Amino acid sequence: MVINGVEIDDTFAEAFNMRGTRILITAQNLRWAYNAANAMTGFATSVIGCGVEAGIERALSEDETPDGRPGLSVLMFAMGSKVLMQQLETRMGQCILTCPTAAAFAGIESEDMISLGKHLRFFGDGYQVSKQIPDANGKLKRYWRIPVMDGEFLTEETTGMVRAIGGGNFLVLGASQAQVLTACEAAIDAMRKLPNVIMPFPGGVVRSGSKVGSKYPKMFASTNDAFCPTLKGVVKSELDPRVESVMEIVVNGLTFEDIAVSMKAGIEAACGLGKDNGILRVSAGNYGGKLGQHHFKLRPILSGEVSA
Amino acid sequence: MSHITLTAKAVSRSIDCRALLPLALQGKTVAEIAAIKLAANLSVADVFEVSVDEAVAALQLTFKNTTCAHQYIGFGMTSGQINVAGDAGDFLGAQLQNGVLICTGNAGARAGDRMRRGMLLIEGNAGDYCASDMMAGTLGVLGTTGAYLGYGMKRGTLLLQHTPAAQATWVDCGFHKLPFLNILYKSFKRLDSRFAQINSQRVQRWAGDMGGLGKAEILVIQP
Repeated sequence: MVINGVEIDDTFAEAFNMRGTRILITAQNLRWAYNAANAMTGFATSVIGCGVEAGIERALSEDETPDGRPGLSVLMFAMGSKVLMQQLETRMGQCILTCPTAAAFAGIESEDMISLGKHLRFFGDGYQVSKQIPDANGKLKRYWRIPVMDGEFLTEETTGMVRAIGGGNFLVLGASQAQVLTACEAAIDAMRKLPNVIMPFPGGVVRSGSKVGSKYPKMFASTNDAFCPTLKGVVKSELDPRVESVMEIVVNGLTFEDIAVSMKAGIEAACGLGKDNGILRVSAGNYGGKLGQHHFKLRPILSGEVSA
Repeated sequence: MSHITLTAKAVSRSIDCRALLPLALQGKTVAEIAAIKLAANLSVADVFEVSVDEAVAALQLTFKNTTCAHQYIGFGMTSGQINVAGDAGDFLGAQLQNGVLICTGNAGARAGDRMRRGMLLIEGNAGDYCASDMMAGTLGVLGTTGAYLGYGMKRGTLLLQHTPAAQATWVDCGFHKLPFLNILYKSFKRLDSRFAQINSQRVQRWAGDMGGLGKAEILVIQP
């Protein structure tokens, strides 16, 4: 399969089951909502080292937020519910509670509800106030008002936790680092327009794709040498002589379809630059199909067939 | 679900309305409601015209033409909504446990007494001892309030449009813009009430009753 002169490998991205949640962060203006959300999603690129993968999903208008202020929706993914709960509470306490004017609300409904402000309320040292207020559908929701130095920190008691998928990905292979980065930027711009997904790495792009294991016993992941351009000739490389740079876009989403649709949008945007601009191949990262439950096959996804 | 309407007939005695709650009347026919005893020699039919609209999907009860003779309206209500199109007597919404009670007229003494949860909204004036011993929930008054406001109030929010007389056991916490009020006002928008028109988040906050637990608040809306 070839799109705009870019060859699409007949391979698949291998993804895993995760647990996910969504939080709505509001503030007096978008600048402070971003300050809170950036802090909350900071150091949340890969579960390998961070425990949780998180990112800003999109900006919300005043009409879309519970308190009528500008805000952002944030998605957070972890390998298990316990870690997700732990990370959410820690990040709420360190990043949202501390951020001037910020407030946090549930962004997703589910049967599994996890603590958002339920435990954080104790920061109020007994002066915290609970309010039960019906939402637009008349359903009662509990909020906590915690006295803080800039006024009150407002947070909803719980948010929903759902089953989700992490590790959808594709690799962009090109003739130069600059060209690959430009293609990845185009891909990220396209993918950020879609709901229910985040690309948790810096700017959405990761240069350090990994393989399982290492020559060093203590490392359980190491550089994906087959896709390292400087190792052509040294290892069994996947790269032909023209490829000088490879970058990966990792995508987590609430459903298989969400990830597949975003991968399609991202790959098509990257391929938009075409062979003439140095974009040569699109591939994907997998472990031979042995590790993840979900396989995102590039060619069927790009043909519009979205299935597991 | 249905919308039950009780239109008050002219009366010369006080009426104890505590048996007339949305959940208690659900599923009952007009005749069954009319036969409910309110006192030894008094049934609903003696003091109210009853109508039932099955087409409404909400748990609603509306009182019409009520006066200060109608006492204990919404006493201990656990769900649904009560609309009082008129005045109400003493103990309006007392021991309210959940749901919404809206009174378009004036309320007597002890409105919201020992209220535990839910929302009691009085568009007119409230009498003495409003929110006495209130444990939690939200009580709003657009008109004036009488003496001993929030006497023994433990938790909960008293939202007022008029500054009440200063009281020894309540302390002034100053003026604030409180973000939770936006969410509260959004919930008012669903209601057919003058409360839906409030939009100022800036309030003067009083904490009390310091004679007791001291965790309740009076919020006076600022223009």
